[in-house]
Amino acid sequence: MSDFVKLDKLTLAYGDVVAVPDLSFSIGKGELVALLGPSGCGKTTTMRAIAGLMAPKSGSIHIDGRDVTNLAPSKREVGLVFQSYALFPHLSVYENVAFGLKMRKASNIRERVEEAIASVGLSDFTNRLTPDLSGGQQQRVSLARSLVVEPKVLLLDEPLSNLDARLRLEMQLVLKDIQRRTGVTMIFVTHDQSEALALADRIVLMKDGVIVQEGSAEEMYNAPRTRFAADFFGFENIFPGDDGQDRAWRPGAITLGDGPFEGQIRGMSFGGDYRTYVIDTERGQIKGAVRADLPSYKEGDKVRFDLPMAQAVALDAG
Amino acid sequence: MNTSRTASWVIIGLTLLFLIGPFVVIVLAALTNGNNLAFPPEGLSLRWFIKVFTIESFRDSFVISMVLAVFGTLAALVIGVPAAYAIVRYKVPGAGAVQLIVSSPLIVPGIIVGLALLRYLVIPTGFTIFATLFLAHTALILPYAVRVVTSSMQNLRTDVEEAALILGCSRLGSFFRVVFPNIRGGILAAFILGFVTSFNQVPVSLFLSGPGVRTLPIDMLAYMETTYDPSVAALACLLAVMSVGIVFAAEKFLGFSKYV
Repeated sequence: MSDFVKLDKLTLAYGDVVAVPDLSFSIGKGELVALLGPSGCGKTTTMRAIAGLMAPKSGSIHIDGRDVTNLAPSKREVGLVFQSYALFPHLSVYENVAFGLKMRKASNIRERVEEAIASVGLSDFTNRLTPDLSGGQQQRVSLARSLVVEPKVLLLDEPLSNLDARLRLEMQLVLKDIQRRTGVTMIFVTHDQSEALALADRIVLMKDGVIVQEGSAEEMYNAPRTRFAADFFGFENIFPGDDGQDRAWRPGAITLGDGPFEGQIRGMSFGGDYRTYVIDTERGQIKGAVRADLPSYKEGDKVRFDLPMAQAVALDAG
Repeated sequence: MNTSRTASWVIIGLTLLFLIGPFVVIVLAALTNGNNLAFPPEGLSLRWFIKVFTIESFRDSFVISMVLAVFGTLAALVIGVPAAYAIVRYKVPGAGAVQLIVSSPLIVPGIIVGLALLRYLVIPTGFTIFATLFLAHTALILPYAVRVVTSSMQNLRTDVEEAALILGCSRLGSFFRVVFPNIRGGILAAFILGFVTSFNQVPVSLFLSGPGVRTLPIDMLAYMETTYDPSVAALACLLAVMSVGIVFAAEKFLGFSKYV
């Protein structure tokens, strides 16, 4: 059950350049997992390997107990929603969605395609050519096209990054709804921690092809274990303590106006509910966020501050 | 303001005259009722247009030119489309060099190509003239095929093919189901360009023509050396109308000018 998708000691390389060395992780059936990391961390490469668009140098990939490592993409029963959507520009919405079923010589094609198009709310656009649709609509066509063949795993490349804020929320709900309705296992790739937090049951944080940390959204957000993870999830102030252990604070955890330390305001950015100050201190720059209804500081002001231990997250070395 | 407008009309007028003038002269000369190629024509008649169809060597060389143009272009596309695909899709080592070599028939003067083929292919190996002509025309059209198809292929993203693979296509299947339909216009544009280029080709064919095997333009040259009557002008008119017709149809149905 928890090994529905299983990567074992997977090594992926472009020529001699190893992008992902020795990666292992498992995903449970019906789970929605985010592969999160900065660009170049190997997340997209990993996703392409699962889809079969890239052959691994070594290691294996199992889906639903079957070794798919050397299978062609078409034989893996995966779907992939590309970041660019990759719709067939010469075909209508209907023909795009029907493509996979036709290749499989499936039955009830018309019925299934129309149902899939309806499920993403595009029934009125069935006969349109896809380049005439908006980005959000194209993405939904791409989603319908991948889901109509009932893949075991649905892969999504940066599913929210091309959408504006309103469409993002809408697409989040659509994806959650698909997960609930179809129970399909979903893996999506993103560089945006907020996307991962909003959508994923579990987050796999990657750096340089290696998993840094994995866990639920809350675990990752509240208890990053390394400098990299802490920085990625918004703990922007990281300092070594006197005991030699690194500790990290979010800007909001810093107390301004009182405390044992002193610094000078370097700059301020207004964020609506909060003002975020950049403060020069003896130990380097820190960032502190203060509620906007509290008194504000000017550039150059001296300010006392505290790094409350209760709000700190202790990090592993490295 | 007014003078600059007048000047621009004058320039446009002169340009059109320069481009279309010769054609008009040929058409009028062909419509003559006289026996000599002359301008202005002496009276009007269609008799030279009718005469063209009775000249046997024109009929033979027309067929040869047609066969060369159609099959030479098809051969160039059979080689050129995969070449264009490889150049666009893969980081082929020396892709730049390939493109340069493929374009070389455009750069090397045709007359030299013709002479070289005669001296080093036909004479030593006994390769037939027709086969050599076919080879030369194919090579000549190849640059157009590669270039035009490359540019229409560049607009198609790679991930579209990958999507087809994931949805159940083989590599070859994804080419025919996804790539081909999207570059069809480019292929047709290349075909028309190649056809017209081959059909109007003189320099390469000049050395490779002999008794029995002549392309139409060479045959027209030869005809004019012995007979200075207006039938050549009439034939030129018919060919021009054919070319314009093809290009016009292509533009109307396929938006040909997008690709060239």
